[in-house]
Amino acid sequence: MELDPTAVAHWLEPLAKRPEEIAELFAERWREAATEWHDGEVREARATVAEGVSARWRGRGGERLAFLSRGDEEGAREAIRALQKDIGLSPLPVKPSRARPAAGEVASLDVERWVRRLTALFARHAPRHHFRCTLRDFARQVIPARGTASTFARRLLSLEGTFTAASRRGDEKREFSFHAPVGESTFEELRVALNHATQPREAATPCGDGQTDAVLGGGCAAMLFHEILSHPLEAGAESPLNGLEQARLAAAELEVRDDATRLDLFGGFERDDEGTVPRPVKLLDAGRLSGRLTDRAHGPGPSNGHARRAGPEDAPLPRGSNIVVGPGHSASEEMTRRLASGLWIDQIDGGSVELASGRFRLRFPRARRVRRSRMADECGPGVLSGEILAVLGSIDPGIGREVRAYRALGWCAHGGHVVPVGGAAPDVLVRRFSVRRLW
Amino acid sequence: MSEERGRLRERLEQRAPGQWELYEKSAESVERETAAGEVVTAARREVGWAARFWEQGAPRFACGSSPENLERALSEASRVETSGETPPEWPVATSAPRKTQNRVEAPPDLQEELQRRVSADSRGAARLHRLSVRRGASEERIVNGRGLDVSLAGSLLDGCALAIGRQGSRACEARVVFRWEGEPDLESLARRLADRATLPLSDRGTPVERGEWLLEPSVAAALLAGLAPLFRAGPLPKWVHRADLFSPGVTVVDDASADAVYDGEGTATRRVALVLEGTLGARLHDLRSARRAGVPPTGHGVRPSYRLPPAPGPRRLFFETSTPASSRDLLASVRRGLFASALTAPPLLDFERDRYELEFTGIAVVGGRAMGPVAGARAQGRISQLLRRIAGLSTDRQFFPMPYPAGAPTLLIERADFD
Repeated sequence: MELDPTAVAHWLEPLAKRPEEIAELFAERWREAATEWHDGEVREARATVAEGVSARWRGRGGERLAFLSRGDEEGAREAIRALQKDIGLSPLPVKPSRARPAAGEVASLDVERWVRRLTALFARHAPRHHFRCTLRDFARQVIPARGTASTFARRLLSLEGTFTAASRRGDEKREFSFHAPVGESTFEELRVALNHATQPREAATPCGDGQTDAVLGGGCAAMLFHEILSHPLEAGAESPLNGLEQARLAAAELEVRDDATRLDLFGGFERDDEGTVPRPVKLLDAGRLSGRLTDRAHGPGPSNGHARRAGPEDAPLPRGSNIVVGPGHSASEEMTRRLASGLWIDQIDGGSVELASGRFRLRFPRARRVRRSRMADECGPGVLSGEILAVLGSIDPGIGREVRAYRALGWCAHGGHVVPVGGAAPDVLVRRFSVRRLW
Repeated sequence: MSEERGRLRERLEQRAPGQWELYEKSAESVERETAAGEVVTAARREVGWAARFWEQGAPRFACGSSPENLERALSEASRVETSGETPPEWPVATSAPRKTQNRVEAPPDLQEELQRRVSADSRGAARLHRLSVRRGASEERIVNGRGLDVSLAGSLLDGCALAIGRQGSRACEARVVFRWEGEPDLESLARRLADRATLPLSDRGTPVERGEWLLEPSVAAALLAGLAPLFRAGPLPKWVHRADLFSPGVTVVDDASADAVYDGEGTATRRVALVLEGTLGARLHDLRSARRAGVPPTGHGVRPSYRLPPAPGPRRLFFETSTPASSRDLLASVRRGLFASALTAPPLLDFERDRYELEFTGIAVVGGRAMGPVAGARAQGRISQLLRRIAGLSTDRQFFPMPYPAGAPTLLIERADFD
């Protein structure tokens, strides 16, 4: 896919004459292989190979983007020409079409190997199922008018679907999601997660409505902080956190950062979609609000490498990547003792936040009641809700000491733009959550 | 391009003689987004190719952003062994090529006018925060191994608006997705934004725990779209009684004939009565689901993008009734209940458990008169009961993007439980 950075930068030069102007070319090549499983059989195989290129200009009063669904030099020239015409500059001359050089050998997505391994895994742990496994391979290149061009790539695995598991009152349909970058330990981690998800459980009873203390365990507190810190702290977002920089909002024991450099998590990247090397950003530092997620166009201050695009057809926006909560000192038993009475939740399967009001909600499929500091019966599904500032202020200072990656957090949609995100968190105890049963 | 198309056809014929389909799409759009005094415009031109084929009796799907990429995807899709499935009965038809206008014009600048209306409708309590309007056009062509060769063309004007209502230190946001089939309807959009952004700030809970429930067309359309799984091919939940699924005055139809002559698989579009006077009728089928069910396809193979294979789904779904009433009459008939003006969360429908839950903001109604705003209320209960309690449909049907057009008038439910 790689375009010649020198030539492209030369074409872009006239678009960025003033220091405040941004002009860049973004190109992506994207391959995807998806397989649909139904009770041990692969029912359908899908493959996608797509390319796109977009030229972007940003200057006083606005931004322009021209996108084409091709990734070659001719496409790059055409996108830049469209942009030049749009802002009233004389466009690059049209060059006669040249035969595109044959694409070099690209590394296989290794689908067959994954199919073999997953077939055996499903047969052992969840023989009745409906799963979709998707392997995605992205390669992106950013060429700015000024500065250094960059290329970066990621390979991601997602497994989502439902399976039938045994519970003490008979069969039960459960949902399962697992999102991780492809690496040497990915399959083993998936095996452990699926094995855990398929364990026989008590039949759940309905949750009560009202206020409750709850421990968010198993890393799922990452979902909470993704909604109440990551989104409100995207530069330009209007939220109750505006104007509260350096204010103490939570217990001093709480440290939360957005860390795109964690490549072991689903939302990691080496370069953001403006070509900036990302920095870990402390969002809460000893309980104080301390940072925002910025890109080149949305401050305050210089970019900290959080410009993200859903694809080449979209302009970059500041977005979160991996939300990582720092460890505390409490063991699980200590967390149960501190909770005393409430809910222990290990799985959150969806969340949303309304930024202007700061209200959020998190949906959990199942929870375990804790009574007199002991695990009791299971309940669910239900919805936790609250307001950002109130919930931050009611987080208990006793934070779990073991940080776990939360692999069910994978894709985040915001304003119609979907980007991969990830998270890791220790057990976190929140006092006075509003809980409501579903069904 | 025709040379590349010919080459792809040959490749598919070699892989799956007679059992393939080739789809190509080209689309162009211009989007204008205004927020905080800044204008972002995006001009997009996209081409996509997709193929479905039954190689050695097993279904596969491949797509790419060019013929070369599609060829690479074909090889990748063929590498996985899949279980067999009988190929569908491929449609056979031909149509003249359809072309859209050459260049897509920029969408109109509606920011100021909409801002003025939102401010007026909310008495200054809400302001337009962001507006994105997109104008686009597309051309599609579908051919298959049995001789089908049809073309489609379409255009759109759609977008998304975000307004923020404020009262003291409290704020509420309203996000409304819209699609206009003719001229921009700013009046309705501004009213929806103003209601959704300001009613939740009223601080008043629901004054009634049970009563009549009047649904604004956008709320009724969201409910109808939430019910769509009942109309798709596939097993029905145990609680469904086909003969009296809805109350007797309700008809639900899917008819996209005015939008496109063919669906995403080349099957001719037709009107399908899914519910006729309360009774569940036909289901929505694409080629594969029709084959499995042993019925003819209904023309509902939907492709949301060239990157996804067609699947059965609604294309233009709407309520009808033989006994419509005016929305004024429906309001007058409410003795004690709530008017749901806007949803505050996506509708939740659990078909397995026969449960629904809708969270909304609206207005309390007593004796046919508005008695003041209700910040938030939740209606919940059994889907089966809700559908049989539809007591009236008005004449003010409007269509909303769900993302396909879903059309509903003001709807009266004779009894619902609120909290």
